[in-house]
Amino acid sequence: MYLTEHDVRGIAAYTRIELDESELAALTVEFNAIIESLKPITEYDLEGVEPTFHPIAGLSNVMREDTAEPVMSREVAMELAQDVHEGQYRVLPILGEGGEQ
Amino acid sequence: MMTSTPAAAVAPSATLTAALPSFSIADIRAGLTAGDFSASELAEAALAVCTERDESIHAFLEVTDGLAQETAAELDASFAAARAANAELPLLAGVPIAYKDNMNLEGTRTSCASRMLENYISPYTATCIEKTLDAGALPLGKLNMDEFAFGSSTETSYFGCTYNPWDLGRVPGGSSGGSAAAVAAGLATVSLGSDTGGSIRQPAAFCGVVGFKPTYGVVSRYGVVGFGSSLDQVGPLGRSVADVATTLDAMVGRDVRDCTSQDCKPNFAAAAQLGRTQGIAGKRVGIVPSYMDAAGVSSEVASALKAALTKLEGLGAQIVEVELPNAKAALSAYYVIGPCEAFSNLSRFDGIRYGYRASDCRNLEEQYEKSRTQGFGAETRRRIMLGSYLLSSGVYETYYYPAQQVRTLITQDYQCAFEQVDVLLTPTSPRTAFKLGEIADPTSMYLSDIFTIPINIAGNGGMNLPVGLGETSGLPVGVQIIGPQFKDENIFEVASALEACYADIERLAPWTPVADDSSSSGGGAQ
Repeated sequence: MYLTEHDVRGIAAYTRIELDESELAALTVEFNAIIESLKPITEYDLEGVEPTFHPIAGLSNVMREDTAEPVMSREVAMELAQDVHEGQYRVLPILGEGGEQ
Repeated sequence: MMTSTPAAAVAPSATLTAALPSFSIADIRAGLTAGDFSASELAEAALAVCTERDESIHAFLEVTDGLAQETAAELDASFAAARAANAELPLLAGVPIAYKDNMNLEGTRTSCASRMLENYISPYTATCIEKTLDAGALPLGKLNMDEFAFGSSTETSYFGCTYNPWDLGRVPGGSSGGSAAAVAAGLATVSLGSDTGGSIRQPAAFCGVVGFKPTYGVVSRYGVVGFGSSLDQVGPLGRSVADVATTLDAMVGRDVRDCTSQDCKPNFAAAAQLGRTQGIAGKRVGIVPSYMDAAGVSSEVASALKAALTKLEGLGAQIVEVELPNAKAALSAYYVIGPCEAFSNLSRFDGIRYGYRASDCRNLEEQYEKSRTQGFGAETRRRIMLGSYLLSSGVYETYYYPAQQVRTLITQDYQCAFEQVDVLLTPTSPRTAFKLGEIADPTSMYLSDIFTIPINIAGNGGMNLPVGLGETSGLPVGVQIIGPQFKDENIFEVASALEACYADIERLAPWTPVADDSSSSGGGAQ
């Protein structure tokens, strides 16, 4: 077993996902099965093998000139937010229990 | 299905509505050139087909009636000007097209089939969509998919699954299930999908259409919601190699807004034409012997692959056996790299700037947690958590870094193989479309993509070519043709020649008009 229920609870907290107790046991079993299926990559002798973080080697990034160009306006960008105040995103208190503002 | 405006007042032509589902891009071009119909008439006919047929397929999440009609009116004006000036019509003139719902199209909802983005209206347009519109295509709407493209069946869509047009009790594959089903059902002439581990090719195989994932970098990903940024690539689906080639020709090239897009200007339609007219005698087609009888490959898929090989030999191709010794580790590498990149990409969804936002929260942290928990579905949450774990200290060294090293070995395998051959031929999927709800276990579902995933790991292009119906299941079977990096033309040449050997197979799924609402099979939209 790679992960315990305690571990899975910790991962959920880190990724800002709530888990209720009823799904914890099943998820732990699933994660262990998935991690077991990853075993082949741990069985390689990879001494001296360079990693490939990008699928196409030897190509260069496409860069444009560093000049100011029109960009999405603040108004358009903020249209999708649910709580905007004077051109800023408004969020709940970071600490405590302030509730919805 | 959501529609953007009420249906048009003008009734569509019954003749055109009946004929349109089987039209190719060339048919549409010929009809427009001859003045047989206008773009506006095409739009009305296409919308009528969608209304009539999509109730049982549920390929669309949004039909953009108003946009299609407005675009058609503009196209008619520009086509008239082009004809008056004896100018060529653009590549995709009047072609009804629809887009996977992870592609931004300004003013439309881009939900990624997730509750998280249920109310997200795109403020801008993805380059791949923009280019098809610049080429004269008619935008019909946005297509269903697995939530955030995590899945192989379209069953993880928050808005309900799409039904396979060949058998409404079966899945269309995924994640671009809506894109494949829409084309197979004749709802659109072509569609766009995205492919991170097989998400264009596997649904194309399940639905009996052509689906192509280009080499990474051929098509800009700007405006396409990211899943696995080193794996994702956009590509077209259609009912013929020629339609897919023409659509791709309209989309390729360097985009200053995507630093991974490359300055390539291939002519895929010409390559397809070349394969058809000049033949492929002497082309070297690689096969991987271990794939021919791999565990899990159904007998009808194996037999269809062997039949395709025989036809290729008949065309004068030289069959060469090659080995991909490290491809067996590709699935494992993918299920490390994919979730890690997804974890990073999906960290942006916090319910603050856009997206689902939970109410009744006491503080910011609780709002993050509730928004992400309620906004993401089970498979999405699973992949985020898995990615987080695999990137954690200690685990990174055991899985993530070695996965990237194994990626080097897999890429070298392909490079080595393509020193000996022009293309590779493999199954696309180990089996034909499975029943809705048949595969519930995630690790079994992941095996659906065992033949497509290595290509995303290595970055090469790959195509599903339908080769008829399975002798046992009666469902579509496809073969996968893979090319060297940035030599995707090889694929189009061979696919086009092979396609001619299957001239009698049907790409359009049979469709029987539904007599009344109560008899609609498949369950309809959820």
